[in-house]
Amino acid sequence: MVNAVLSNHWPHSCDERLVAHALECEVCCEVASIATLIHDDSERSRYEAHVPAAGQVWWRAAIRARLDSTQAATRPMTWLHGITGAAAIGVLLAAISAAWPMVMPMLDRGWAMAAGYFPSADAATAVANGVRLSAMLGLIAAAILLLAPLALYFALSDE
Amino acid sequence: MREFTLTDMERLGAFDEAERTFQMTEEAFRTFYELTARPVRVYLGRMTGDDRLADDLLQETYYRFLRSNVAFENDDHRRRYLYRIATNLVHDHRRRPHVEVASAVLPEPRYPAFTEPNLAERAARRIDLQRALSHLKPRERSMLWLAYALGWSHEEIAASIGVKTGSLKPMLHRARQRLAGLLKTGGPS
Repeated sequence: MVNAVLSNHWPHSCDERLVAHALECEVCCEVASIATLIHDDSERSRYEAHVPAAGQVWWRAAIRARLDSTQAATRPMTWLHGITGAAAIGVLLAAISAAWPMVMPMLDRGWAMAAGYFPSADAATAVANGVRLSAMLGLIAAAILLLAPLALYFALSDE
Repeated sequence: MREFTLTDMERLGAFDEAERTFQMTEEAFRTFYELTARPVRVYLGRMTGDDRLADDLLQETYYRFLRSNVAFENDDHRRRYLYRIATNLVHDHRRRPHVEVASAVLPEPRYPAFTEPNLAERAARRIDLQRALSHLKPRERSMLWLAYALGWSHEEIAASIGVKTGSLKPMLHRARQRLAGLLKTGGPS
């Protein structure tokens, strides 16, 4: 029945018994009706459809393929940048943790030299704590200043 | 976002590269395209209900087809593969934020009969069909179109939409019943 519809033989140019059966059988009636409707729409839509020329589709596909291959070629470089950035962050953190024990005695020595200038021991201790905190904050700020451009680069790149 | 642009020289080079990258020559593609473009465009149009989207998906379908590495046994296999790409693209698009297909105020629907309708009646029926199809699930639309517009076998349809052949018959039956119901009532209840 579907074949008859698709070959435009339904209902007049096909077996009359088939048509008679379709009129009696609910399922076949439905199949014939739906198939006729969809096939008719498909046939007419084909004539109405506007498609771009083959050359145009080929040209767009060729350009797209070139763009895709360019992107694919730059992908390893982007990965390399990422790995370099991660390594730089690791080195920086390692340097900060390695330098911290050396910074502390230097601060203590500097404090010992400056302590004589303070009027009381409490004031000297408060200033010492402040200096230690400032040094830590300074190191964090320096790290952020170094990492921010890297972070921006990766955030704005497409990979 | 990093934008890639091509110079004129690169564009020219892209054509030579395309012959190597794509799975067929430009001449073979032209022949294949002339045979398949209109039916595929109509299929995409009916599946999406959006002409602009169908145009975009048509280009994407042929691009993916050209970039595929499948060894085709014959033209039928090639054609089925093309529809499979188109079907997947439509389904992928549906999974993105949903855009409802606008339903216009359409004439009173009527159930088709086995008589030759006149032009106006045919046009009305096509509008009814488009409206009814827009209420079906994308997979149901695909099944019905592949079966009754293209005359594909159950095996071919099952392979194209990614279901088991045994499951297809009842699915197609249900889809057909739903469409018939929608055509009778003029829309979902």
